[in-house]
Amino acid sequence: MKIGSIAKVIFSAAATGALILGVGKFRTEAQQEQPARPAVAAPVTDCFESREGYTARSRVENVVPEYGYPNIICSQTTGGVLWWGDPYDETIPIGDMPDIDDVTKGDYLTEDAVIKPREPQLTYFNMDPDKHCVMCHDGMTVPFPKDKKPRLITMHQDIVEDSMELMHGEGAIWCLDCHNATNRNTLIDHRGKEISFNQPQKLCGKCHGVEYRHWRMGIHGKRIGSWNAGGKKRWWLCTECHNPHTVQINRFRPLKPEPAPVLPKGMKNAAHESVHAPSAGGHGEATPAATH
Amino acid sequence: MPAEEKSKMEEVKGTTISRRQFFKEAGAISAAVAAAAASSVIAPEEAEAKTTFAEFFQNNYRLMTDEEKKEAIARLEKRYSEEFAKKVTVDGAPAMQDVLFGYALNIQKCIGCRRCVHACVKENNQSRHDTEIQWIRVLRMEKGNFTVEDMDKGYPNSPNESFGIQVGGNAYKNAGVALEGQHYYQPERVPEKDAFYFPVQCMQCEKPPCVKVCPVRTTYRDPDGIVVIDYNWCIGCRMCMGACPYWARRFDWGDPHLPAEEMNPKTHYLGNRPRMRGVVEKCTFCLQRTRKGRYTACVEVCPVGARTFGNLLDPASEVRKILDRKKVFRLKADMNTYPKFFYFID
Repeated sequence: MKIGSIAKVIFSAAATGALILGVGKFRTEAQQEQPARPAVAAPVTDCFESREGYTARSRVENVVPEYGYPNIICSQTTGGVLWWGDPYDETIPIGDMPDIDDVTKGDYLTEDAVIKPREPQLTYFNMDPDKHCVMCHDGMTVPFPKDKKPRLITMHQDIVEDSMELMHGEGAIWCLDCHNATNRNTLIDHRGKEISFNQPQKLCGKCHGVEYRHWRMGIHGKRIGSWNAGGKKRWWLCTECHNPHTVQINRFRPLKPEPAPVLPKGMKNAAHESVHAPSAGGHGEATPAATH
Repeated sequence: MPAEEKSKMEEVKGTTISRRQFFKEAGAISAAVAAAAASSVIAPEEAEAKTTFAEFFQNNYRLMTDEEKKEAIARLEKRYSEEFAKKVTVDGAPAMQDVLFGYALNIQKCIGCRRCVHACVKENNQSRHDTEIQWIRVLRMEKGNFTVEDMDKGYPNSPNESFGIQVGGNAYKNAGVALEGQHYYQPERVPEKDAFYFPVQCMQCEKPPCVKVCPVRTTYRDPDGIVVIDYNWCIGCRMCMGACPYWARRFDWGDPHLPAEEMNPKTHYLGNRPRMRGVVEKCTFCLQRTRKGRYTACVEVCPVGARTFGNLLDPASEVRKILDRKKVFRLKADMNTYPKFFYFID
């Protein structure tokens, strides 16, 4: 061994020793400084998916035992779902879907496409276990409306928020264009075909063809589960994001946002962000005094 | 390791002393000194201390043999499981074959609710407070005001004569985006009428500037296109943060604060495993999920379906169909970073 390399080794030994001592010292000091951790708030157990007041969800613990995941994690502040442990929770197969005869056929495999069914969530639908809505809407008990003029829906104000302001298709569409007059358990399309509440896409797609095709291709709407083109996915249906009754007012009903990030140290507020481009002199200053 | 790189390493070994060799020789001669130092300074009952010594001499993840990777992962699993008092798995899954991950975000749909930000925090074990670390930032962009009345107004705005230059009064207004992105917006409800929202995260560039500048080569592009970081090899110099044109990288100056009950026990070595103090971290397209076939946490949580994710090499994937059919742009395309994160409108 050459003298140079021996010297190098001795030097490196000393340096390493010092380094380890240094690191150790740093660590012990850091541990002493550490403030007490604030207690974690109890998890919120009830929240909604995409539309507030539409799909209510409850947190169930340990749905994925391998990692101890709950089915969902709810937001602490806004009541929305914040994280998915099990994407296929409470789902059923999407059911029969007709082929589309065009190039956009898409990655649509019935056995791998699952949805969260709507029917079990409908309050009045489940009031009678067998007859459902037809219990009252059998064509006799509740009379048909005489004209298409908007009126207050006395019985269903809890589910149809403001029937006076309903608008779809710029007022050209009214209730019984989509809701089946003779069998209120189902929806109905313009050719008189009955459509289940679990498959609203078949109804919406009759007018909104481009959106429908893009949805089937997987480039409109929301899916969770497997990213793979042939993989198992839970598909969000039209009404899970859009409210068909008020979609003309808001494409999506406004939501409460999650909290903003913490301001950087030394920044008192974010007022500088709301100041428009600087005029002469002032470079985005928050106070009027700063602009000359 | 590419042959070119290997020969370079050997060259380095021949002329001067490499970092690896430095520690090897140092370790061999001063084993007694070092061991004594370690045992006397670091409290032995600490879960962390038990593995710190071995971790300290660990190689760059890319240069490790499979055996060494397994050992490193086993060490981490043991340490994390003790630290967080639950069974933690650390995955070392390599990139999938014939997969290049891409992301598409519909800028028209985004309502600015920030759920993606917080889903990401939950999934990827970021520090919750002091310092709060978030990998996604949603910017609020105020819409400008073009007006029809100003269209006919020319410049200079003289009452008597025109100089024949007609550019329209709107040219001198803040139109389009009137403000710089607002980070800290907090309205009662989103979306607001006069704003659109612009989520920004790591773009997983094909030519990542952060990888170019890393002096210790701890951040690199994996074959599935994800730019990853070996946190153990990171020296915290933050050169990558300076190089990134998208402000995608985060750094924690203090010890991360991650409550044990909120810790996600499904982790990946290059992804969401708990970080130590003083390393750079960023979005990895949730590779602990996506390499197992699952969507990223932000895609799954988006309430309006603005986010899509898939394999850019598969023509049947959602992302490819969007690239085929929608109007797509990439952020700061002029930087020649070739991001695999695409923004689009219908």
